Amino acid sequence: MARGDAVVGAKFSGQAALTARLMMYVLLAIVLMAMDHRGKYVPRMRAYADYLVEPIYHVVEWPVRALRGTWSFFQSTQSMQRRNKDLADQLLAQQAQLQRFEALEQENRRLRELLDGSGRLEINYQFAELIDVDLDPFSHRVMIDRGRDRDVQVGQAVIDGAGVVGQVEEVDLHFSRVRLISDPNHALPVQINRTGQRTVAYGLGNTGLLSLPNLPREADVREGDLLVTSGLGSRFPGGYPVAVIETVDRAEGRMFAEAMARPLAALDRGREVLLLKKPLPQPLPERVAGDATLESDQDSGTAEPVTTESQPDTDIGQDGDGGATENPGQDEPVAEAADEVNDSGADDEGAAVAEEQS
Amino acid sequence: MMSQRDRMAPIITSLLVAMVFSIIPLPEIVEPLRPYWVALVLIFWCLETQGIITLGAAFLVGLGLDLLTGSLLGMHALGLVIMIYLVTRFRARLRFFPPWQQALSVLALLVNDRIVVVWIISLRGDSLPSAAYWLAPVVGMLVWPWLFLLLDRYRGISRHRAHPGA
Repeated sequence: MARGDAVVGAKFSGQAALTARLMMYVLLAIVLMAMDHRGKYVPRMRAYADYLVEPIYHVVEWPVRALRGTWSFFQSTQSMQRRNKDLADQLLAQQAQLQRFEALEQENRRLRELLDGSGRLEINYQFAELIDVDLDPFSHRVMIDRGRDRDVQVGQAVIDGAGVVGQVEEVDLHFSRVRLISDPNHALPVQINRTGQRTVAYGLGNTGLLSLPNLPREADVREGDLLVTSGLGSRFPGGYPVAVIETVDRAEGRMFAEAMARPLAALDRGREVLLLKKPLPQPLPERVAGDATLESDQDSGTAEPVTTESQPDTDIGQDGDGGATENPGQDEPVAEAADEVNDSGADDEGAAVAEEQS
Repeated sequence: MMSQRDRMAPIITSLLVAMVFSIIPLPEIVEPLRPYWVALVLIFWCLETQGIITLGAAFLVGLGLDLLTGSLLGMHALGLVIMIYLVTRFRARLRFFPPWQQALSVLALLVNDRIVVVWIISLRGDSLPSAAYWLAPVVGMLVWPWLFLLLDRYRGISRHRAHPGA
């Protein structure tokens, strides 16, 4: 680079040389950004270059962790006791729920045997903690303290005690970056727990709100409905709670109703998260797996949602619409829906088992 | 005459500290007000030394910052290169401005940088930042005179340590 400067410097002088170099670097920066944005070569280089900056994360992380340790040391016994009692209460309530789960699991197994169903999917959890660093404020991402050394993989779903948090986007040696479901470029296939209606939840760049822009107008959606992951798109296993519907807007003159939902996970204040290790039933083509984060999803999903046949991404919405409204008589969507329910049941079951084990 | 290594050490150290400060966690309310530490430190060294903070150096520092914050690779690099270009261009004048006038020029540089960033973000299709985003350059301006004094002192100390006789 220095030699390049010298060569340029020999040709021009003073201001002109400076401007020429500015142009050169601006061009270089724009090319880099375009390549990074399109995902060409740069992300792979980035994965290696990230090792260079990793020590800085440690430098930032260490005093924060030390401070927190000191703080908990000085917390009064009284508040500790209160917290202990709260946790005991919570444990009791959850144990009561687990008892019910056991009965349900038995029932599920019996029904599955009746149906001669396939083996269930076991889901393992991996614990991870958020790292206190503020990343680029324009995308909703967080860092967690598990990386390649603990077998974290790109695309793993991340949840917390209350609901879905996001998915792993980049993995470094000791750290990973997680894209939150509230990121404006994130789309999550969900279904309304009460009715089974399937749709897609988009992030809005706000940790307190998700948008469901393409619900059919006549869809049965109410305030307070629970949204769970539908398991489509093969990134997130089905059946995990995502959000609660807050408002439904059925404005006149629009093709679709738009609902707003409040995420259940503590996106802006959580500290501990769980990484789901799911055994993929069969390897799916790369495009399908990547669909959940493609930006073109958002555009095509909202702009011309009618012509879903030609859209590569909205097979999710199409299925949901078809099953619910258009052709309930046909076998295929219904069968698929039944399959879907089975899958999510299996996931729940696996989840319950994993929780018992841990 | 100081050796190259003696001159580089304080620059690199202060830049690393600035990088740490730019990702250290802040409460969510204060977070948009975080001054652009790396830019401020770079401007200082660009004004106070000759021939070290070139456009290429600014580019590399920007790339480091991009890796650190996980932003689009080249975003900070572009902003810092433009900023250092302007500082180098008007270096002779900026150096002899009285402090308040220098602080105002720093404000202009930081606002200019934010405009570049907003442009990139809108091209990329991300959501635009809140109004508080434009307060950060003002905080940067207010911080500038103190940072200048601090870095000047630090520079004096490190020079003295390298050459106790001087």
